[in-house]
Amino acid sequence: MNCLQFEKELPDSLEGARTPEQQAHLSACSACSSLLADLDFIATQASSLNDLQEPSPRVWNSLEAQLRREGLIRQPARPTLHNPFWRWRNAWIVPVAAALLVVAGIKLYQPTKAGDNQPIAKQNVLPARPARSAISTEDSEMMKTVASRPPAQVAAYRNDLDQANAFIRDAQESLRNDPNDIYSQQLLMDAYEQKQMLYHLAMDQSDDEQ
Amino acid sequence: MSSGKCAAGIAAVLMLAGIAVGSDAVHKELHFKVGKHPMVSINNTYGPIVVKAGGDHEVSVLALLHSDKVELDQSKSHNRVDITTHLLPGADGKSGLVEYEVLVPPEASITLHSDNGRLRVEKLRGDIILAGNDGPIDVTDCAQGHVHVRTLTGPISLTNVHGHVEIMSVGGNVIMHGVSGTLVAVNSNSGRIEYDGDFGEEGEYAFTSHTGNIEAVAPAYASIDVLARSTNGSVQSDFSLEPRHAPFILKGANSLAGTLGKAASSVKLFSFSGKILLKKRQN
Repeated sequence: MNCLQFEKELPDSLEGARTPEQQAHLSACSACSSLLADLDFIATQASSLNDLQEPSPRVWNSLEAQLRREGLIRQPARPTLHNPFWRWRNAWIVPVAAALLVVAGIKLYQPTKAGDNQPIAKQNVLPARPARSAISTEDSEMMKTVASRPPAQVAAYRNDLDQANAFIRDAQESLRNDPNDIYSQQLLMDAYEQKQMLYHLAMDQSDDEQ
Repeated sequence: MSSGKCAAGIAAVLMLAGIAVGSDAVHKELHFKVGKHPMVSINNTYGPIVVKAGGDHEVSVLALLHSDKVELDQSKSHNRVDITTHLLPGADGKSGLVEYEVLVPPEASITLHSDNGRLRVEKLRGDIILAGNDGPIDVTDCAQGHVHVRTLTGPISLTNVHGHVEIMSVGGNVIMHGVSGTLVAVNSNSGRIEYDGDFGEEGEYAFTSHTGNIEAVAPAYASIDVLARSTNGSVQSDFSLEPRHAPFILKGANSLAGTLGKAASSVKLFSFSGKILLKKRQN
């Protein structure tokens, strides 16, 4: 079994027992075993999030709206992209994006405790950020997917990534100042959507190069 | 025509012909018979895609390939046409360039992607999904469908578009003229958002930015329910809005809430640090 065959069968194997061929391939292929570990991690995190707190219906409505906006669950079905390999190579985007939105939603609705009508005390304003802050492991991985592009495009991606992260930080700061403000919550959702788009376009681009 | 102009014209034609011959450019023409409401998808790494309304049952693709380092992959299944620019080893932004001109049935749904080429769509009535990195994106005279546009830094222009419109941009400016629908949502980071229209169709208009300014121009007769706030920027309005309850604290020049006319459409303008300006159209 090669990597392509493994990836084709992976969606099914995630839901059930793996075949001996798949196990053998996993033992021999670090890339596929790493991919599987990532997916397992996402699934585990998603389960634990569910255990932590059941978000209000509004969170799910917002999440559904975001996914519909992205065309991920819109009817009629959104045209799929052209490369048949694309669907699986990018399939991780969906759970990651969903997990991001769920995490964001939970964060938005957690701060005010039941019976406590007072919003959490305003946090101190964050210290001034450096012009170009360090990026997360996930962002580094995303940048790797565009690393083979011309330097100007790589720089543009990095700049866009910094802008998206800055938007997220500022929206989070607004939320800390007023945790119950639904428009700040929406601003944070929008910021995450931009980052999701950035990831999505980076993956599209890397598929084009294959 | 003077002899000088004639000579210049001949020289220009010869020069263009020479460029075409010397550049190994290849024209390819593809035709697909389709039924009602076909779906057409084109993925072009480098170069523009222009899509216009054509005949009712045919998709016509005219492609100009700029070198032999690029080829077209095509597939048609049932009512769906997929075209993908296939870069061969060694292809770059110049040799991998392909220019598309496509005619589709007016009710076709289309999905276009180009990294840096212009995406242009005219006179369609189906769903339109456009994605780009830094190329400009233009949608003109389209109605009835969903229009979804995503770009990183490419400027976006929508003119005379009616339907369900969703736009997302990191750094590209978003310019809308005569755009209306049940939902018109724009999510920008540093890009400027400009809207000039009547906020019609009892729709929901939601424009959000991080640092980009938001400017909306509407007629005096507009029927709108406005909420606007910029966390660290200013909010100004030319209109004398009827005050209304706001779901947030109105802070001086940073926010406003009010209605105009029968408040048929909802207008939400939110930014983190961009300036927000709601202007009354003159004339």
